[in-house]
Amino acid sequence: MNNEEAKFILQGYRPNGADAGDAAFRAALEQVQRDPALREWFARQQAFDAAVSAKLDAVPAPAGLREAILAGGRVTAPVQTQTAWWRAPVWLAAAASVAVIFATMFALWPKQAAAGTALADFVLRDAVADKNHGGHGTGSLQAMLGDPANRLSRGLPISFTALRKDGCRTVTYEGREVLEVCFNRGGVWFHAYIGRRADFPALASVPVFLDKEGVSVASWADETHVYLVASKAGRAALQQLL
Amino acid sequence: MPGELFNQLVDAHYTPLFRFALSLTRNSSDAGDLTQQTFFIWAKQGHALREAGKAKSWLFTTLYREFLRGRRRAERVTALEDLGPVEADPPAPEVDVVTGMDAGLVVEALQEVDETYRAPLTLFYMQDFSYKEIAEMLEVPIGTVMSRLSRGKAQLRAALARKESAGRSKVVAFNHPSARKLS
Repeated sequence: MNNEEAKFILQGYRPNGADAGDAAFRAALEQVQRDPALREWFARQQAFDAAVSAKLDAVPAPAGLREAILAGGRVTAPVQTQTAWWRAPVWLAAAASVAVIFATMFALWPKQAAAGTALADFVLRDAVADKNHGGHGTGSLQAMLGDPANRLSRGLPISFTALRKDGCRTVTYEGREVLEVCFNRGGVWFHAYIGRRADFPALASVPVFLDKEGVSVASWADETHVYLVASKAGRAALQQLL
Repeated sequence: MPGELFNQLVDAHYTPLFRFALSLTRNSSDAGDLTQQTFFIWAKQGHALREAGKAKSWLFTTLYREFLRGRRRAERVTALEDLGPVEADPPAPEVDVVTGMDAGLVVEALQEVDETYRAPLTLFYMQDFSYKEIAEMLEVPIGTVMSRLSRGKAQLRAALARKESAGRSKVVAFNHPSARKLS
């Protein structure tokens, strides 16, 4: 092995020494021991690589990314491995289950739609009443909501305690607590309303829109919370948030 | 999906995944999106992975595939043959120059490396994967990884030298004749 070949191979040798036991580097490392010029090159190369690695290690992830991933992960349902139906001994039972699910959905559909519409109606009325909105709500959630890089349907880190402490307004809908945060994105004002999923179990998980009296409301839910966002900027503006 | 496992995976890997994504996308918000997307794919499919020890490499491979998929969609593919010849190996900047540089500037230099070389180079500098694992993740032969590391490092050294020189010329500008006229 000549020095050029050794250099080529040693480009893949990590500066933290993790490759010390890899036989593929053995001959090149032996060459390093024999040749002072190569030894000097290798020492400089390793020092350079270690310095670049240290810089890369110093790059932080953006604030809120972890929380957004965790929240989004909670609402992302796992896909089960598919098995050919003719191989499944319980395919009849599965078919029956599907029938039950369809029947349940059919039975619940009007109720679910009605529940969602009633809450969206309430939000719509509350959002247009100027006396209700006086710049309340600060803190990380408001900053996250206002950040154009964040898509709200991917999940939000919600803590009712923290939100109350940040000055969010609390409204009551049919005896259930809903927190409201105003936020501005790209010069447009939005009003986000957040409730507990347990208080509003009938609200649909997928985004549903209501346009009425010049105001649009988007509502959706994850496993722990329900979200409604109202704006006078129209449905398209809401869709961009999601 | 077992929530606890998901939380552990996020805590262990979201920062290095973001760094890898940042090097690929050259944009913090796209990198955040790509990192999130990778974990959501895990939430949907990753739980079916039989060997838990392979989760980390699965996440990095998935992130890279998602990046390529998104790029293809945006029709911004740069064919390998369109890339110019690799520059002659420029003199390596002193290590203390790199050490003295802001981390953001070093990442910017890394982002200037051609994409073909940038992916293996970033994975190499993260030091979590061997050249063999990088070859598996990027689905290229081991020799190709070595070659791309070699060319990528040459490009990185050139980019760092440019950054350093630009930083120096900013300071020197005060002594420029036109600047002196003002005084």
